Amino acid sequence: MENSHPIVEMRNITKTFGSTRALRGVDFTVMRGEVHALVGRNGAGKSTLVSALSGFTSADTGAIRISDTRFEATGQNYAALIRDDIAHVQQTPRLFDHLTVAENLFIENPLIRKKFGVISHKSMLARATALLNEWNIDIRANAHAGELDAGTRQLLEIIKALSRGVPVMILDEPTAALSNAEKRVLFEHVKTLKNAGISFVYISHHLDEVFEVADIVTIMRDGQVVKAREPVGTLDVETIANLMMGEETVRSAREDHTDKSAPILLQAKGLRVNKFATADIDFEVRRGEIVALAGPVGSGKEDLAMILAGQKKPQSGQVTSPRGTLPTIGFVPTDRHASGYVGILGVRENVSVGGLDILSGPLGFIKGRKEADLVAQLARLTNVISSSLEQPVSQLSGGNQQKVVFARSLCRSPDVIVALSPTRGVDVGAKEQLYALLRDLASKGLGVVVVSDEEDEIEQLANRVTIVFGGKIVDELVGDYSIKDLILHMEGVA
Amino acid sequence: MSVQADTTSNSNAQDTGPSKLSAFGSAFVAQGFTMFPVLLLLIIVGAFVAPAFLTSRNLINILEQVSVLGLTTIGLTFVVLIGRLDLSLEGVVGFAPMLAAVMLVPAAAGGYGVELPGWMALFVALGAAGLIGLFNGFMVVKVGLNPFISTLGLLVLLRGGVLIISNGRSIYSPGEALTYLGSAKILGLPVAVIVFVVVATIVGLVFQFHRYGRALYAVGGNEEAARAAGINVDRVIWSAFFFAALLSGLAGVLLTGRLDSAVTTQGQGIIFSAFAAAVIGGVSLGGGKGTIIGVVSGVLLIGVINNLLTLAQVPSFYVQASTGAVIIIAAVLTTVASQRSSGVKTRT
Ligand SMILES: Nc1ncnc2c1ncn2[C@@H]1O[C@H](COP(=O)(O)OP(=O)(O)OP(=O)(O)O)[C@@H](O)[C@H]1O
Ligand SMILES: [Mg+2]
Repeated sequence: MENSHPIVEMRNITKTFGSTRALRGVDFTVMRGEVHALVGRNGAGKSTLVSALSGFTSADTGAIRISDTRFEATGQNYAALIRDDIAHVQQTPRLFDHLTVAENLFIENPLIRKKFGVISHKSMLARATALLNEWNIDIRANAHAGELDAGTRQLLEIIKALSRGVPVMILDEPTAALSNAEKRVLFEHVKTLKNAGISFVYISHHLDEVFEVADIVTIMRDGQVVKAREPVGTLDVETIANLMMGEETVRSAREDHTDKSAPILLQAKGLRVNKFATADIDFEVRRGEIVALAGPVGSGKEDLAMILAGQKKPQSGQVTSPRGTLPTIGFVPTDRHASGYVGILGVRENVSVGGLDILSGPLGFIKGRKEADLVAQLARLTNVISSSLEQPVSQLSGGNQQKVVFARSLCRSPDVIVALSPTRGVDVGAKEQLYALLRDLASKGLGVVVVSDEEDEIEQLANRVTIVFGGKIVDELVGDYSIKDLILHMEGVA
Repeated sequence: MSVQADTTSNSNAQDTGPSKLSAFGSAFVAQGFTMFPVLLLLIIVGAFVAPAFLTSRNLINILEQVSVLGLTTIGLTFVVLIGRLDLSLEGVVGFAPMLAAVMLVPAAAGGYGVELPGWMALFVALGAAGLIGLFNGFMVVKVGLNPFISTLGLLVLLRGGVLIISNGRSIYSPGEALTYLGSAKILGLPVAVIVFVVVATIVGLVFQFHRYGRALYAVGGNEEAARAAGINVDRVIWSAFFFAALLSGLAGVLLTGRLDSAVTTQGQGIIFSAFAAAVIGGVSLGGGKGTIIGVVSGVLLIGVINNLLTLAQVPSFYVQASTGAVIIIAAVLTTVASQRSSGVKTRT
């Protein structure tokens, strides 16, 4: 493995969106065969930098070289120049829902093209099936991409990029939607390819992953590099977090606001969460408690949460409330791109759409003042960074989009919050802020249900962990437990 | 919750502060004012080309002419905002008033001999239109048809339906009850114009300030997100088709009033102009974007151009072709302006 030869060199890159200077003179170098982690808080400019590298968005100025292709950026599109040098898995999924898995994997791929641009369906299906097997993905190659869950979609994107055989790969938060098992498979592939001389730019807010796969770390803040090419061995999680945030971030601890005699807010009786479920689920949420639903992907934990939130009909059974009417529920969906935000609308409209009923008067007209105040307050609570509250959410950085979705769920002053992967893509600092917010809400008597794949997140938040497997509740952890207990209990089913 | 509104406190540290001019430009475009400078220019040019143009009589005439197209386009905007379309609106413009007419006039004048009392006229026309809208909503929401095909079918069906119910003959002078809105004047101002202005104002306010308007934009921008936010998406879709047809029915009544007859070919071709006006006015055919201010500007633009070409005595076949050319130019202008100002590409 030769590590001394740069395959990517970016010099003095700038990029401005309207009044936002997303990149202000960034230098970035990647060596052959290295996994280079790019970290930084939400809106630091990571996605913009790698998009400038892959040509997905064109840099305004600066010099770029990728393997043998070198050019000066002028704001003109240069993606075509470097098509065969680089592949980019974006933070926002870009699969074609109406095409099959195989078609998605091999779109514009020379391997399956015959004369006159005719595509060989047989070889495409065969190759796709082989790839899916290799990655342990249990779906048909001719299934439609639109039917797949977020994790599988994310994996498909990665596989598609990796199978293009280019020397430089960009993975922008590839694990955000992946289960632990899927992560393992991904890391294996990354390591194999790295040993074959492929270079990776790896963006993630999971710093433990950075230590697991990366060789080199570059830290960005406010459109600039604050630490370039540090070997991962010389760093630790705290140092990275502090450099990223520009201030001390403290990992906060769980708080207990539960009370055994607190009234039940939401009660599920005899639920069958999906058609594969073989047992009934009984479940309740009390005032002041934070419950986490854990378990492997496909276990039914997300179905259970969706049913509790009234977003999905159960196979059988029902959700009731002892008070009669169901409580107001704030909902954070699992896939923010599909069902979280309305990209062309601004932050204000996206947040207030969650609470149109409480924001409007008797005739249904929205009270402008009240809306502006509430949205500004929620945006501050959830730490949304945007150039103004009118900025279209499609223009926000990934983590900030997630915060907008979170803010939306709080808009109706809910009694219960059901949040699926609530901090997906959110930086360490903002995460702590959201955790503090949830704890505060619990202390005020709300019930919180969190679905998460992150043990840390569960351990920092949940007073009760319900482990779901095969559509039924198989285990429960209450009160004082350590992250080790949690992992042991979860392994028990995996 | 006594927190002060402070939109800048969330502002990015790397912001240099939005320049006032560009902020003004964005707002100008976003609110739908893009076409007004063009409109103003046309009016100035018009005043020079045709002396008769800038007379109050002619201007009122233009307004009266565009009121039918205006109401239809506002109706269309409801469905386009939610990312759908409705071709059958053109059929409604012809069908609704014809149905009222045949129910009203005596058999000798081509009616059914039901001779409903006059006050029923509007009720029948708008009732029929509303039902057609609900049918469209049903087809899209419950049956799951693509609105292009379901409303195309209905358009053809309604065209045939007009011929069937009228026996292929236009009905002249269907009675004041049906023609009042389209022909009467109050203090020299046509009632049709008043109706148009009132409807445009109400709908404009609803789009901008009412929770129903918000729901329309949200559904058009991302249906799943709207659902997850707690919006009853099916009801929104259903109602959009309802209001679209209702307003087109009203447009049909105005047209019948102006012509003092329910004509069998009434409304033919209006859906094309309505789409053109909407797009010129900055309504995105992809859904989720557009304002009534913009729609009104689009409608006025088409009206003014038609009027100018006629006044300038351009031969009538050239009028149609030139209108088409202007539509394309105007659409390019709005699209470019909206891309420049927001950076968001819209599918127009
Ligand atoms: N199309 C756009 N129009 C306007 N501003 C944009 C656009 N894309 C990105 N920005 C802005 O550029 C800045 C950098 O965004 P970027 O997406 O690179 O952040 P990031 O580091 O990837 O953050 P995250 O961790 O949240 O994904 C942000 O302030 C963002 O709002
Ligand atoms: Mg990003």
